[in-house]
Amino acid sequence: MADIGRVRIRVPSTIRAGDVVRVRAMVLHPMERLERDAQGKIVARAYNYVNRVVVTYLGKTVVAFDTTQSVSENPHFTFAFKATDPGRLTVAFHDTAGGTYEESVEIKLA
Amino acid sequence: MTHGEGMSRRQALAILGAAAVAAGSPRAAGAQAPPALGAPEPVAHALKRVFGNRQIRDGASAIKLDVPLIAENGAMVPVSVEVGATPSPVKHVYLVADRNPVPIAARITPAPGGPLQAGLNLRLAETGDVRAIAELADGTLLGVKREVRVTVSGCAA
Repeated sequence: MADIGRVRIRVPSTIRAGDVVRVRAMVLHPMERLERDAQGKIVARAYNYVNRVVVTYLGKTVVAFDTTQSVSENPHFTFAFKATDPGRLTVAFHDTAGGTYEESVEIKLA
Repeated sequence: MTHGEGMSRRQALAILGAAAVAAGSPRAAGAQAPPALGAPEPVAHALKRVFGNRQIRDGASAIKLDVPLIAENGAMVPVSVEVGATPSPVKHVYLVADRNPVPIAARITPAPGGPLQAGLNLRLAETGDVRAIAELADGTLLGVKREVRVTVSGCAA
């Protein structure tokens, strides 16, 4: 997974002040599954998966997700926020291996 | 020779000691941090661990949970949740997949007063209920559940 941690964010092309904007964000991440040994017992080890996603807009957190291994590989997240002022929307993904992958988009109001 | 042996024993003990400290410290830090959200456990345990003995009331009037009726690929099942007017503000929304080895899939924390519309894709190991449980600021729990039929297991997590 050379591309691990690549983040993509999609926002609507036009946003007006006061709109509740739906955003879609994804990260390329393997979200390691639980492994089982030959007896079917779960192998206890440190699995690498995204366990926290934080979305900030104008410096304030608008939504946070705490996630577990029950979330798909290359997870997509959708969320909504109220666009009040032009500014930066940042989505940061944190995984259990200590990695942080973030990307931001400039929110411009039409 | 004996001297050399003694040294190596001492070194070995020092290494073991250092390893024990190294292994011990993250555990100590983990004890202070809130318990992990997900663990391999049956769903009843998971709900009890997270919510204690609080009753989950029917939240069909406030929560809209959107899941497919049939998920052809259990590895990627889009789920979205929207919470409307509730008697007190929403603190968290939990997404729970009853039949998964790790039943608690996600906890969504909205900004106070912000809109709560969120979605993500889950892995579903087998056919079973998916629940959304909203925890309100006053401690009330509202839940809804929908069954998802899984054609190919997400074999998972």
